[in-house]
Amino acid sequence: MKKIKYIIVALTLLFTGCESFLDTENYTKKDTSNFPSTQVDAVQMITGIYSTMNNAVNSPDDNPFFIYEMASDDRVGGGSTSNRTAQSADRMMNSKVSWFENIWTVRYSGIFRANNAITTMNNVQSWTTNGKKEQLLGEAHFLRAFFYFDMVQMFGSVPLILATTPENLPKSSADEIYAQITYDLITAIGYFPDTKYPDIELGHATKWSAEALLSRVYLFYTGFYGKTELPVANSDKKIGKSDIITYIEDCINNSGHDLISDQRNLWPYSNPHTAQYYSYAKDKGLAWAGDNNQECLFSLNFSNTTEFSASGHEYSSGYANRIVEYFNMRKAGNSESYPFVPTGYSNGPASYKLWTDWATDPDYTGDYRREGTICDKAVEMPKYVGDPSKEVENTGLLSKKYMGCGAYDESGTLYQSYAYFYGGQNDKQKGLTQSLILIRFADVLLMHSELTATNAGLNKVRNRAGLPSIAYSLDALKKERRFELCFEALRWNDLRRWGDVQQIVTNQTGQPITNRGVADTYTFGSTFDYMTRYNATKGFWKIPDSQITLSEGILEQNEGWDEASSDWTKLPYSTL
Amino acid sequence: MKTGNCWPNPLLINLQDRVYRLNNLKTIKFMKKNSTDGIDHHWLVLKKVFFVMKLTTLILLISTLSIFANQSYSQNTRISLNLNKTSVKEVLREIENSSDFFFIYNNQLIDVERVVSINIEDQDINSILSELFDKTDVEYVVKDKHIILSNQLKDEKEQSVQSNKVTGRVTAESGEPIPGVTVYVKGTSNGTITNTNGDYSISGLSANQSLIFSFIGFKAQEIVVNKAEMNVVLVEDAIGLEEVVAIGYGVQKKKLVTGSTIQVAGESLAKRNAVDALGALQSLAPGVNIVQKSGQPGEGYKINIRGLGTTGSSDPLVVIDGVAGGSIDALNPNDIESIDILKDAASSAIYGARAANGVILVSTKKGKSGAFVVSYDGYLGVQNANTNGIEPLNAKQYMEIVNSTLVSSGAKEYDFKTLIPNHYQSIIDGTWSGTNWLEEAKNNDAPIGSHSINITGGTDMSRVAMGFSYLGQEGTIGKSAIPNFERYTVHLNSDHSLLKKNNRDIITVGENVTFTSTNKSGLNIAGIYSNNVRDLLTASPLLPAYNSAGDFYIYKDMVADNWDFDQSSVNPLAKINVNHSQKNTTTRRVQANGFIEISPIKELKIRSNAGYQFFQSDYRSYIPIYELSSDNSNLTDDITQTQSYSTKWTWENTVNYVTSINKHHIDFLVGQSVEKWGYGCDLSVTNSNSLFPGSFNHAYISNSQGLNTTDTKISGSPNTAGGLASFFGRVNYNYNETYMASIVMRADGSSNFARGHRWGYFPSLSAGWVISNEDFMKPISGVMNFLKLRANWGQNGNADIDNFQYLATIAFNSDSYYYFNDKNDPSIGAYPDILPNEDVTWETSEQLDFGFDARFFASRLALTFDWYNKTTKDWLVVAPQLASYGTGAPYINGGDVVNKGLEIALNWNDNINDFKYSAGVSLARNDNKVTRIANEEGIIHGAENVLAQNTDELYRVEVGFPMGYFWGYETAGVFQNQNQIDQFLGNGGIVLQDSAVPGDLIFVNTNGDKVIDDNDKVMIGNPHPKFTMGFNFNCSYKGFDLSVNAYGAFGHQIAKSYREFSNSPNNNYTTDVYTKYWTGEGSTNRYPAFTHGKNTNFKELSDLYIENGDYVKISNVSFGYDLKSAFKKLPLQKLRIYVSAQNLFTFTKYSGFDPEVGYGNGESWASGIDIGYYPSPKTILGGINIVF
Repeated sequence: MKKIKYIIVALTLLFTGCESFLDTENYTKKDTSNFPSTQVDAVQMITGIYSTMNNAVNSPDDNPFFIYEMASDDRVGGGSTSNRTAQSADRMMNSKVSWFENIWTVRYSGIFRANNAITTMNNVQSWTTNGKKEQLLGEAHFLRAFFYFDMVQMFGSVPLILATTPENLPKSSADEIYAQITYDLITAIGYFPDTKYPDIELGHATKWSAEALLSRVYLFYTGFYGKTELPVANSDKKIGKSDIITYIEDCINNSGHDLISDQRNLWPYSNPHTAQYYSYAKDKGLAWAGDNNQECLFSLNFSNTTEFSASGHEYSSGYANRIVEYFNMRKAGNSESYPFVPTGYSNGPASYKLWTDWATDPDYTGDYRREGTICDKAVEMPKYVGDPSKEVENTGLLSKKYMGCGAYDESGTLYQSYAYFYGGQNDKQKGLTQSLILIRFADVLLMHSELTATNAGLNKVRNRAGLPSIAYSLDALKKERRFELCFEALRWNDLRRWGDVQQIVTNQTGQPITNRGVADTYTFGSTFDYMTRYNATKGFWKIPDSQITLSEGILEQNEGWDEASSDWTKLPYSTL
Repeated sequence: MKTGNCWPNPLLINLQDRVYRLNNLKTIKFMKKNSTDGIDHHWLVLKKVFFVMKLTTLILLISTLSIFANQSYSQNTRISLNLNKTSVKEVLREIENSSDFFFIYNNQLIDVERVVSINIEDQDINSILSELFDKTDVEYVVKDKHIILSNQLKDEKEQSVQSNKVTGRVTAESGEPIPGVTVYVKGTSNGTITNTNGDYSISGLSANQSLIFSFIGFKAQEIVVNKAEMNVVLVEDAIGLEEVVAIGYGVQKKKLVTGSTIQVAGESLAKRNAVDALGALQSLAPGVNIVQKSGQPGEGYKINIRGLGTTGSSDPLVVIDGVAGGSIDALNPNDIESIDILKDAASSAIYGARAANGVILVSTKKGKSGAFVVSYDGYLGVQNANTNGIEPLNAKQYMEIVNSTLVSSGAKEYDFKTLIPNHYQSIIDGTWSGTNWLEEAKNNDAPIGSHSINITGGTDMSRVAMGFSYLGQEGTIGKSAIPNFERYTVHLNSDHSLLKKNNRDIITVGENVTFTSTNKSGLNIAGIYSNNVRDLLTASPLLPAYNSAGDFYIYKDMVADNWDFDQSSVNPLAKINVNHSQKNTTTRRVQANGFIEISPIKELKIRSNAGYQFFQSDYRSYIPIYELSSDNSNLTDDITQTQSYSTKWTWENTVNYVTSINKHHIDFLVGQSVEKWGYGCDLSVTNSNSLFPGSFNHAYISNSQGLNTTDTKISGSPNTAGGLASFFGRVNYNYNETYMASIVMRADGSSNFARGHRWGYFPSLSAGWVISNEDFMKPISGVMNFLKLRANWGQNGNADIDNFQYLATIAFNSDSYYYFNDKNDPSIGAYPDILPNEDVTWETSEQLDFGFDARFFASRLALTFDWYNKTTKDWLVVAPQLASYGTGAPYINGGDVVNKGLEIALNWNDNINDFKYSAGVSLARNDNKVTRIANEEGIIHGAENVLAQNTDELYRVEVGFPMGYFWGYETAGVFQNQNQIDQFLGNGGIVLQDSAVPGDLIFVNTNGDKVIDDNDKVMIGNPHPKFTMGFNFNCSYKGFDLSVNAYGAFGHQIAKSYREFSNSPNNNYTTDVYTKYWTGEGSTNRYPAFTHGKNTNFKELSDLYIENGDYVKISNVSFGYDLKSAFKKLPLQKLRIYVSAQNLFTFTKYSGFDPEVGYGNGESWASGIDIGYYPSPKTILGGINIVF
């Protein structure tokens, strides 16, 4: 019976000790009760916000950069008959039920992380670097503004979420969102130090990128909505044109950023490992300036170490530039397609009209940027066949700016990506490491010209391209933006803010294309009136249906994407 | 259970001995002294006493001894005795003490008090007995280790003086006499035992008295005395109602069980020669759905009991020798004594916390007191892929099809002559038909072999069982890197009486240890991007497999040959070879437990059981430098080394008190257990540039060179730790074995939840009524001898979710890196990865079950019936939440699932003279339905790109539908001509195609609105079988035995695609492309015209891809013969040779390889997806089974 007693004692002890017996400690994650507490934590918290930009590249089908490019007049949808989203984005057609779910999710995850950083930054007690806290808060505000600007340009109005507690909110008005963006950017500009390029932390948002972005926000808001001032959240203040000019002049004069000598050196085809066998680049003596160069104010960067996820298809998190993968040609992979070796899906062929406008415009005679920007496949790679059995809307023209490049080593071995020589992988997908430039100095100069109606910035950009100076006119400015910045995801919103959307119809319709090897001309569709479609949507895209359902109707679908939009689902060419 | 030899198997003696003790039966005492509890006659069975020694020494000693102990024990055992003036009784005891012999005799007939002196040196038992009983009437017979003493003369003498006497012979069904059978007059102390010839004689009888004949291993028989000579045939008690079944922390007599449980004897499993026990269970357990994950060796099974109740883990809890959470796969089927499956909530409630998916109790073989028995079972066989006649197109067919579809869709056709200049002509003139990749990859007559040795035996103080086994199996597909699986097991169980008083064990200790080691290598059989079997089906037949030098035909050969159909084509054999031929995973697993059982008084048992599991795994691979195609290359070789281990311990303590007051029997159990897991970690390193290029044997990280960010990958992380603390109690009550009731209560605390939400309480109630015991049933007892009604209700839990859902955890995973200015050097990012849910707690499965068990025609026919309704409440689910919340959704208790079903099992068991046979058929029906998901949408979405790239979500969970149902468009035939289209459109019909042409599918606009879109998608298939079936037939005649097993599933669908339709239009086809598709008006109204590339008909998921998956598999046919029955003098107990065929036939209309598709895109709740499946092998094997 003594033993029973012992057991009873043991049982009692166990029972009382049960709760602590069941407490477990997480050895791989921290939690919000102890994070962030150090400067290292704070830095990681900000890095986690940036990483969502990579996550968004995992699905180019609804990535803003890709969508803006497809929607513009300078590219057509292209791809194969499988690439319905690209062709739909080109026409603002309704592609599928839950389109844009990924960007909605990823941008809000970025916003959530920024909200979390902004609200918990004060929990960090031990700062080891002077000014670090301010720099990090500046980045958090900048990124939140950047994400909301994407959302508001894409969707018109979205729920404005600024806290980390989950709340099912309706859409805020565009004005409220622009007020918040303006507030965040001004706040960021206030936090950021005046450090000049190249002493800044390369790859991070800076005062200069915030000033440039604020100018872009101003131009779009005032242009698109017909306003003159930006509202500011939490304040009665408004930001007018003169304020913006002050900001952008600060950026031009004090940032340390400048144009690099040759615009073509921004693009990887000019890298020496590719260029040594690419006569265009070699003959012109091009030399790649690399990522994070002096002209680049803000970009999305990729990695050499991308892995496929467990499912074996998607990249683990968008650390390779899938947008480039979508633009890459089909059935490339060999010397015949050199230098654009990596195989992709042939989305977004360059518009024929861009190619001919550029050639015929007397202001642009002798512009090296035309051939530096667009590859005429018939000229540069006559032996390349491609995959006529699949390609549709093939114009025979490629954007050179965002196109994967191969390279040879000394022994003549062909590598799928030049990135191999910079520590990347010899892989048609994982080797795509080219940064996506989001703000560059030429844009800053052109925005300055546009804001001030002066020609200094305009001519600085023209002169670099070997073109003579001209007088300022809005028309000249518009052309310069089209040619200097083409394929950089700015054109679509430029057209929208200028009210020039009609150009999309003019510049695309009727151009020669081949559909599955058969010659054809581009149409939006026999019954498809693009401008009717644009006016119905105002160029805002579809809110993913799943979110509307999950919100229990609190979130409302955008105009033009209701049930009637299902009339707009037919592509003009036979998919048979 | 036992054939040929009528002598009771010593294994059974001990089992039954325990049975009787456990159930407090008072029929026979196997004790020397006068029994004090009911029967005071002296049927003595001497038990031997073995040395009590320390556990370890004992095990070592037995291991050594036992190897020699069993080769005809009586001949080989030498004994020395030197006893002066000792009683015969003492002499016998001395012999027992110094050997494994034991004596059976009736001390009324044998004069054991006779004083003798005996002095012998190193003699065998016969010599000793002959000396001991020289010049007496005592006869003796030595049967293995059993010695029966009888006295023919005294029998006869008594017969002559006594009147009212009955004589007769007791035989087994085989006709062999059974010595040692207890025969006594019911209600008296008058009795005897049968002599060596099975004869008995009993006198002093009066009219209407009954004789009871009982012997261990046989059903007791009661016969009313009605003549002077009564011969009795005893029937073996194989599936008797007196048998006990495991119920968790104890056993219960089968006829008293009030829940729904299944017991499968280890022998039935072993007889199937399956690689592992779950495979063998397939036809034997109604309501338990067991589906192979893949036919590749070592891949395991998906198992669920009574339907899927959760999107989380749906595996039942496996309890091995009382320790929860073990692995059945790690056991050799020959080491399993029995498997009990607790299907209903009331039965499994004693394991409350983790029993929501049912419980499988595995009992490994235990030692039995008695002579050591050594058995060997070994087989060798060959296996072949069961490809169900599937053939890819040959080169010529392929070119025809590709070009004709291109032309018909208005695209340019391929000029193959210029694309494959060096091969074109040979294809056209028929000298080369292209590569049949499937055929090239087949590993015909892949060997399989198994050897296992089992040893059991012991004394009444120490009992031991040991097993050693080896299994080796090759895969039937994957010739350039043949999948291989090897398993070694060592199994050791023993238990020891530390303290015995009055022949009752006061303190018993014991342990069960299984050590398993496996080696495994094989192909990737996962999603569409990593499925080697799919690669074999999709690869172009135009690509040669080998070049002229006999090496794989790869990129350099394409370049040399100007082979340019698509230089990114990858030779799938070469791909398999480089990725899978130089790799190996080894695992080692220890599952062990030790217990002490203290029984201070007969009614009370206190037991403490501690379990420990250790699992360790190593993986190593070498991937060489290769360049398979224009864009598939590896420029530096890669070495990967991965190691991990994990451990887990449990400790449980129970107190069991059994008492009887008159006819009230009560069995109390209270207990407590604690469990902790997750002590362990893993470490993985990949690096490049081997110092020993090409050598797998040298593929260790130390032999790699240099570190860099793209080639070097290092990871190391701890296991997820957790714990469970539990308290439980059970009361089993019965009145006169007629009215039964049982109450179970269990409380569990799980570390997966926050304080305050940790504890779950799981009650159950059940009742049973053996209605056949009632007088009013007696009139039909000749037809129905047993009928029990059962009803029960209970709740179980499931806590199987990721830990820390109650905290806003900060993740630092590789998804949150950012590369600011160095593409090689990530900056680590951190972010809150879930919105915390502090309230998350148990999911509860509640089940109601009604059933009955009936036996007809003297138990020849057994019928079991069950109806159940199982509701999983507060289902733990990650329900989609608004994306604008910005981070991951936590698990919430957010859904309900209902599984309703019926189970019927029928077994017939009889013999016609020497022909014994049994047949069983079982049928189970289950309906699965989700009734609640706690979000507005009511949907948990499945993955896209599952059947082929660019396809939409294929399966999902949605309220009102079965879990993981297939979701897509319904089609209503094929447009046969333009007229039909015009009419259709004229009537307001809407097409999904941009513009329909004849040969297009008619997609159904189910909601009748202006457009066909996702809102028109409906359930196009249900992966859950409506019915599952099991069939078993066994028969034996003299030494021959035959058994047939089959199982099947009906009423479910499979989603299948063996190629891409959209982004890889040049994938090869299977030959049904010629016959299946629409070719013109009237050709078919099911499949559309075949087209090249993306086409709405193919790209949109519809019922086009759904097929019925009904099948019946003849899973096993075995035929054996025991040579012992022909050669009785063989110095063996058994020498059975057998042949067996597995997966001999599959009856199905399904067009894929194998309708038993366990693949579900890696999700536990999805299934029935066939994208290129590793088929189960057809195996023919021969084996031998020896019992020494």
